[in-house]
Amino acid sequence: MNLDDELRSALQRQEPPPEFAERVLARVAAVPVRMPRPWFRLPVMRWAAAMAATVMLLAGGLEYRHYEGERAKAQVLLAVRIAANKLNKVQRKVQMISHRSNS
Amino acid sequence: MPERVRPTVVGWDFESLVRQHQAMVYSIAWHILRDRAVAEELAQDVFLSLHQHLGELESPEHVQFWLRRVASNRALDVVRRRQRRPMVSLENAPEPVAAVKPGDPMLGTALQKLVAALPEKARAIVVLRYQEDLDPAEIARILGIPVGTVKSQLQRALGLLRQKLARSLGEISI
Repeated sequence: MNLDDELRSALQRQEPPPEFAERVLARVAAVPVRMPRPWFRLPVMRWAAAMAATVMLLAGGLEYRHYEGERAKAQVLLAVRIAANKLNKVQRKVQMISHRSNS
Repeated sequence: MPERVRPTVVGWDFESLVRQHQAMVYSIAWHILRDRAVAEELAQDVFLSLHQHLGELESPEHVQFWLRRVASNRALDVVRRRQRRPMVSLENAPEPVAAVKPGDPMLGTALQKLVAALPEKARAIVVLRYQEDLDPAEIARILGIPVGTVKSQLQRALGLLRQKLARSLGEISI
């Protein structure tokens, strides 16, 4: 007797029970398959969007503060210019009055 | 409900792969475990896993190698889990009750039982050698062990099988 041959015969492949493939396919169909996430739904993209929004808000806030500062500066300059005009007018009137009184 | 996605490898039909390889996967599990229900469940699990990994496999040969490897290793895992319970070693395994002769259908069953009583690694090696007709180098790749270990375990397993079988066959030389 040849043990190799007897083992080959004893360990031949055997068919699985009937309907095996159908049961496998049914199990496959029952398992929800994970869809690959679209790039914009990846966690890293969410973080990036949150960071970008934060940066934009900060930049917007800084820009607004800068704009408000510039506007206040322009108002102060305008007020100073108006005051200077008024003072000039007053000074001219004072000079005219003092001229008349001297003459 | 999530939309289903077919495996991405063009030209591969999962159902055909199941039908083509079901006997191989089931038989590896059956010859290692000797439990039809567990073998079927394990084989189903292997194909489920194949469905999930199909996109990573590159060729029909790769699929076959992958199935042999996963089926063998999962069957060995089951054997190891069972071994937490008391188990009979090959040396102490009960021998076939009735004497058997070469060509006797009982001889095949006796051999299957003796193989199933081998230590788990040797069992997987014998199954892959004689069921799948693989050489030691291929068996080593599948089980992730050195070729020398495969050869030595195979020789030792065959020696043990000869001893056990000789007692049943009496005078017949093997």
